[in-house]
Amino acid sequence: MAINAARNDLASGGIFVAFGAYFVLEAMTYEFGTPLRMGPGFMPVVLGAILVLLGIAVIFKAFARPEEEARRPVPWRGIVLVLGTIVFFAATIRGLGFIPVVLVTAFASAMASRNNRWLSAAIIAAGLCVLCLAVFVVGLGLIVPLVGPWLRF
Amino acid sequence: MDLISSLGLGFSVALDPINILYCFIGVLLGTLVGVLPGIGPTATIAMLLPITFSLPAETALIMLAGIYYGAQYGGSTTAILINLPGESSAAVTAIDGYQMARNGRAGPALATAALGSFFAGTVATFLLAAFAPPLARAALSFGAPEYFSLIVLGLLVSIALAHGSVLKALAMIVLGLLLGMVGQDIYTGTPRFTFGLRELFGGLNFVSVAVGVFGIAEILRNLEDETERDVGIRKVTNLWLTREDFRRIVWPVLRGTGLGAVLGVLPGGGHVLSAFASYSAEKRLSKTPREFGKGMIEGVAGPESANNAAAQTSFIPLMTLGIPAHPVMALMIGAFILQGITPGPNVINQQPALFWGIIASMWVGNVLLVVLNLPLIGLWVRMLSIPYRVLFPAIVVFAAIGTFSINQNIYDVYAIAFFGIVGYALIRFGCEPAPLLLGFVLGPLLEEHLRRAMIISRGDPSVFVTRPISATLLALALLAVVIAVLPSIRRKREEVFVEED
Amino acid sequence: MRKTISTLLAVALAAGAAFSAHGAAAQDYPAQPITIIVPFSAGGPTDTVTRLVAQAMSEDLGQQIVVQNVGGAGGTLGAAQAATAAADGYTLLLHHIGMSTAPALYQSLPYDPQTDFAPIGLVTEVPMTIVARRDFEPETLEDLLAHIRENGENITYANAGVGAASQLCGMLLMDALDTRMTEVPYQGTGPAMTDLLGGQIDMMCDQTTNTTTQIQAGEIKAYAVTTPERIDALPDVPTAAEGGLENFELAIWHGLYAPVGTDPAIVERLSASLQTALATETVAQSFADLGTAPVPADQATPDALAEKLATQTELWAEVVAAAGVTPQ
Repeated sequence: MAINAARNDLASGGIFVAFGAYFVLEAMTYEFGTPLRMGPGFMPVVLGAILVLLGIAVIFKAFARPEEEARRPVPWRGIVLVLGTIVFFAATIRGLGFIPVVLVTAFASAMASRNNRWLSAAIIAAGLCVLCLAVFVVGLGLIVPLVGPWLRF
Repeated sequence: MDLISSLGLGFSVALDPINILYCFIGVLLGTLVGVLPGIGPTATIAMLLPITFSLPAETALIMLAGIYYGAQYGGSTTAILINLPGESSAAVTAIDGYQMARNGRAGPALATAALGSFFAGTVATFLLAAFAPPLARAALSFGAPEYFSLIVLGLLVSIALAHGSVLKALAMIVLGLLLGMVGQDIYTGTPRFTFGLRELFGGLNFVSVAVGVFGIAEILRNLEDETERDVGIRKVTNLWLTREDFRRIVWPVLRGTGLGAVLGVLPGGGHVLSAFASYSAEKRLSKTPREFGKGMIEGVAGPESANNAAAQTSFIPLMTLGIPAHPVMALMIGAFILQGITPGPNVINQQPALFWGIIASMWVGNVLLVVLNLPLIGLWVRMLSIPYRVLFPAIVVFAAIGTFSINQNIYDVYAIAFFGIVGYALIRFGCEPAPLLLGFVLGPLLEEHLRRAMIISRGDPSVFVTRPISATLLALALLAVVIAVLPSIRRKREEVFVEED
Repeated sequence: MRKTISTLLAVALAAGAAFSAHGAAAQDYPAQPITIIVPFSAGGPTDTVTRLVAQAMSEDLGQQIVVQNVGGAGGTLGAAQAATAAADGYTLLLHHIGMSTAPALYQSLPYDPQTDFAPIGLVTEVPMTIVARRDFEPETLEDLLAHIRENGENITYANAGVGAASQLCGMLLMDALDTRMTEVPYQGTGPAMTDLLGGQIDMMCDQTTNTTTQIQAGEIKAYAVTTPERIDALPDVPTAAEGGLENFELAIWHGLYAPVGTDPAIVERLSASLQTALATETVAQSFADLGTAPVPADQATPDALAEKLATQTELWAEVVAAAGVTPQ
């Protein structure tokens, strides 16, 4: 029957156990304290342990019932492009500056949709860049270089 | 001075044409900026604050109050339309509001939010005018043990947020509590779970977590199978509420207003609980609790009213004692001081025109909000007809810029990506994001109040049951658990095979 | 299609370059808006002080000044950002006493407060007040000191977290009395004041910016101010020395800094502008409402700030070490 266990429960239970374990292990290095003066480790250790137990309970329930739904496709392209562009944005906004970063971010995330082609993504990027400039830089006075130090000669 | 003449004085200030004009501009700007993804009310107000500096004191504060309501409503709009809450209460609105939008009922959802907020705002403004000083005094009797018990009650009651597995909802709450502990421990200064990054000493930013687990996770879900989404959006049928809708929202609005008005007075975390508490109450009282999370209008009406009532009554500690109840109120204090007014117990006596003028303008602001936003609903709903392939890159870009602009902290932006993937995975595996956000905002408060209560009581845990308010709250919490568990045990026996969890 | 993209990109870059091009020369300074970083969240006392001064300086310089809040990690994040900003006079930092305590409270700071900044001038020194809940038994500072010596850890002392003014004052007080009280940390001054007003805790020592209105309204009891002279806003409250607490002086001083390497002519211009701003009636009046006052013109200078920073850094290194606080 184990093969038939609900995959969703197994996976989410596993995530909970992993997070709980991380918090417990990390918090063990902090001072635990006494009831009068609870240390910084007290709550994370207790709550982390509860999370591990809850995760185990979720996993346990997984075996009590069979797989119920068909698997949905994993949007690899979306995951890579959307999350990638967010990371790219964070890493380069100070260095490259607002205009190049917004253009690249908008273009790449638009490409995450199979319905967008190069041209449409480029148009979306250009449009968004103008819109964001108007809203954030002109309208709200966001303080950020338009073209960052990495691109100045 | 009696209430009538005080309010008369207040309205003579608030109804000055110039003040009405600025209040309107404030509401408009607040709505427009608050609607941007990744920018919640706090950020909106911080950004728009400087506009008010050059105005005379009353006008500036009236405009600021306008910005506040506008920002609040704008945040709910984003939550309903694109599942992207900018603050914790909007996370509750997003649960059913977004589903309504997906069912083609974005119009009624937005109208409900506007009407519920208006009603709640009106009632709360009256409460503020009539009972501010005694209410503020009563709130002061809440110490650390009381707040701890209140938060425990809030957490236990909020398990009702889940429309799927209760076990997973509990786990999500606990995960949220733990994530809330990232950052420097306020008691010892020890940095926790920060990977040695000082940028994380202040903890994770709420907006990063919310944008990640709601907004980005939703985008990834829609990218799973793109044909489905475009088919899935149903034709927008009507913009306005039906007679049936009106009948359904009356009680949720009334209950939400009551709950929110009471909780909002408590400066140590009451405001945060109001929307969650109202949602839980509506779900418990509903004849069809299983429909919650699938687009129930009650799930929008209750929390939105509760939130707005709380937003209003949270001015009580500020105006009568000079104590900020939450970050927005702290900003307000700054604005007051810049206008040469130090908020404190004396404002009501020394500057009656200002005090009552602001209160009256709150009501005027609520009126303007409705007047402005009901016509705008058509515009917002039309936003949904933008092709998704254009809309979602815009959400990603706006969310990144918006989050970055709050503190100019690039780790806030990295956190969006992290919570996007974690949130997407958990949602895919059948968990829900709202309990996680609740845990996230309450985690630090829970720990703070527990530890403080123990320090002040010198390690004696009996304070929680010997102090009457705290004991009552804990008894209610116990009752909530019993009520929640009993029927499900009974049902389990009956429905062993049908039970979906 | 690629051509379209590259054309678009080129146009955008050109536009951006045109926008961002500016001369950093001292003679036409300031040619663009100036940013002052406040390393705390908006609405706090430091933020308020900054906005008041920024408004007045902006009028003098004829240029917009934007206040940017970069809060977190006891002010060290904002300071770090200012330290690495371009030294062109368009990014400044307004920080309080935390500038001098950070080296003692934080490990591996990415900047050195004394060598990575060009001081511009002191702004204000906010006095501290020793206060207690309304029904706390001691009537005078002498009573209070005796009460603390006698009851020690049975007294709860509120502070607003690591590195906050209230924590520093508590450390100094316990150091002076050679006794310990039970410290109860809060997330900022607001919640601490709430619990003091509600009588949940016994006492606190905090800036007049936070306590003056409450004292005037009789909501809390004030025992002393920590300055050599009594202050105008609270004429009935004795100084610490009058009440029998010798050598107990503490003020939360605020200073304005530029990143090191800023053109001395620009620093000079900013310092002059700061002095002009501090001399205006509006700033004096607003500061008085907060229970503080602008520093005299001879203090709003680079030299005065540099000296203050040096002596205070030394003092707090000792006090923090004596209090047994380990840097994080």
